[in-house]
Amino acid sequence: MNALTTNFYQLLADNLDVRPGKPAIIDGHRAASYAAIAAEVDRLAGYLQSRNIRPGDRVIVHLRKSIAEVTAMFAIAKVGAVIVNVNTQWTVEQLDYVAADCGARVMIVEARVAEALASRRVSKTVESVLVRGKLSAETGFDIWDHLPEDLSGDEVPRLDTELAMIIYTSGSTGMPKGVMLTHRNIIAGARSVARYLELREDDRLLSVLPYSFDYGLNQLTTMMLMGGTVVHQAVPMAAEIVRTMQKHRVTGVAAVPPLWSQIVRLLAETPTEFPALRRITNSGGKISLNILQQIPRLFPDVDVYLMYGLTEAFRSTYLSPEKFQRKMGAIGQAIPGAEVYVIKHGEGIAHPGEQGELVHRGPLVSLGYWGKPEVTEQKIRPCPELWHLIGDEPVVYSGDIVRVDADGDLWFIGRNDAMIKTNGFRVSPDEIEDLVCRSGVIAEAVAFGVEHEDLGQAVHVAILPVGNFDEEALLLYCRRAMPSYMVPRRFHIWPESMPRTSSGKIARPDVVRLCREWMSCGGGVPATGTSKARINRNQTEENVR
Amino acid sequence: MSLTYGALIGYLRDSLSINDADRESELFSSGLLDSVSMVNLLAFIEQSTGISIRAEDVTLENFDTPDRILRFAEASA
Repeated sequence: MNALTTNFYQLLADNLDVRPGKPAIIDGHRAASYAAIAAEVDRLAGYLQSRNIRPGDRVIVHLRKSIAEVTAMFAIAKVGAVIVNVNTQWTVEQLDYVAADCGARVMIVEARVAEALASRRVSKTVESVLVRGKLSAETGFDIWDHLPEDLSGDEVPRLDTELAMIIYTSGSTGMPKGVMLTHRNIIAGARSVARYLELREDDRLLSVLPYSFDYGLNQLTTMMLMGGTVVHQAVPMAAEIVRTMQKHRVTGVAAVPPLWSQIVRLLAETPTEFPALRRITNSGGKISLNILQQIPRLFPDVDVYLMYGLTEAFRSTYLSPEKFQRKMGAIGQAIPGAEVYVIKHGEGIAHPGEQGELVHRGPLVSLGYWGKPEVTEQKIRPCPELWHLIGDEPVVYSGDIVRVDADGDLWFIGRNDAMIKTNGFRVSPDEIEDLVCRSGVIAEAVAFGVEHEDLGQAVHVAILPVGNFDEEALLLYCRRAMPSYMVPRRFHIWPESMPRTSSGKIARPDVVRLCREWMSCGGGVPATGTSKARINRNQTEENVR
Repeated sequence: MSLTYGALIGYLRDSLSINDADRESELFSSGLLDSVSMVNLLAFIEQSTGISIRAEDVTLENFDTPDRILRFAEASA
């Protein structure tokens, strides 16, 4: 435990006196010790300083999960610059948009991306591109493997209140927005998560989620903070994940709902023992109930943590694992070192049994959006309903509606902007989707409201059926399972898995938009395999997790 | 039903924006495809071949390159 750590680079450096030879990262057949990573970080920091990178400059990392990616992030932090880690699934156009938006001066990319960049005009702020891997054509870019061995970069001290990283998240409308995280945000997040997950020096956490995603970044920051080991899993196949978990005696796995359902389905077919595993975590959305119910049997004696967070405040709540059996699906209470309130706008704080918008207060509150002060002011602002407690201190408005139960645990209800108003009732699409999926014949569902003369809005649901599907039977089921106002007026049968965002969630706005388009051209359901949802999945990522 | 090389490359190009794939392209171990693309690719293979892919068969040995995918589809048919 590095009690003194206050900035991102120190997460790595504070291990060097204590455990230089210990593996920090295991990546396939390679293991890199803390000292080995620090040596390469030093060389890369030297390169960045040779390119005149100054404190506060933005440097893009666009590398697949690898020891090189980790090295690049710490090198940027060492010279006091700002890490902008962009998801490798994003297109070159999106990468270029991010470079221009944050005014990046250097980009560190894979050879494949470099070749694409070489054939187009890159943001004019970018002065240097450093390439990892072998190029098949001449680009004029710098090559990581050709950097001189004797390069070395000085550590530039930073305040913990300064900008450490910008995480780009795509909004449901418009272009991606960069969430600005300080060193303090990241370190406070790592400390809090390490505390409630009870992480230790002998832990080996699996890292399968991207480091460009704050939930994924946490596996790295917490292990560096505790002096543990991160086990990279670059290939997101359940069978490969399980193999890596066994081979490297992984003690913790963090994943998102679609990945958990793959892993659970695999283990249900082929039960596997994980004697070293201590805990598993989920964030990024709700796991469906039928998957959750299988977890205790497939992972006996493993603590299960259901968590909730949004990039603008890093991480907000978790459900204490001893409550998992009783409260499957709840998101629990505030993480240590943060406060979470549920607000009824214009009224006050929600009491047990009531619902309202979740707002987050404390050291994890980010600086807002890069270059968008007006959007920041909407998202992070003083809360009149909390004025008697904290005065004008700004809090993050999550935009998520949650319900408070008798114990003070929170349950995610839905977005405050997607609620369906039908027949005078406010209905959460999530609630309808949950019920529809519980029918057992539907794999994916997106509920939305369609303007209706008599009802205000009518409930429509896009569905992906499984097996022998009978629409009449589903309707019958809904009529039994739902209050009448909630029963869908119409189903839109989806021909294949629904479009996803880059973090794996269903791209709800696209599903709804396509359904509306199909209705406006005569109501036809798209034929299988032809008029597929050809959308850019990265354009529609809700920030909420 | 069977899956042809042309259909697979066409799907990679049209649905997953991979324009330069050949028989030996490493789709997953190279980081080209993420988990979401993988789920979509599996659904495409199941649809075109009529086979049902078991989770334990989704490995690099069976799916990392177009050639391996075609071999797997043929063996499972």
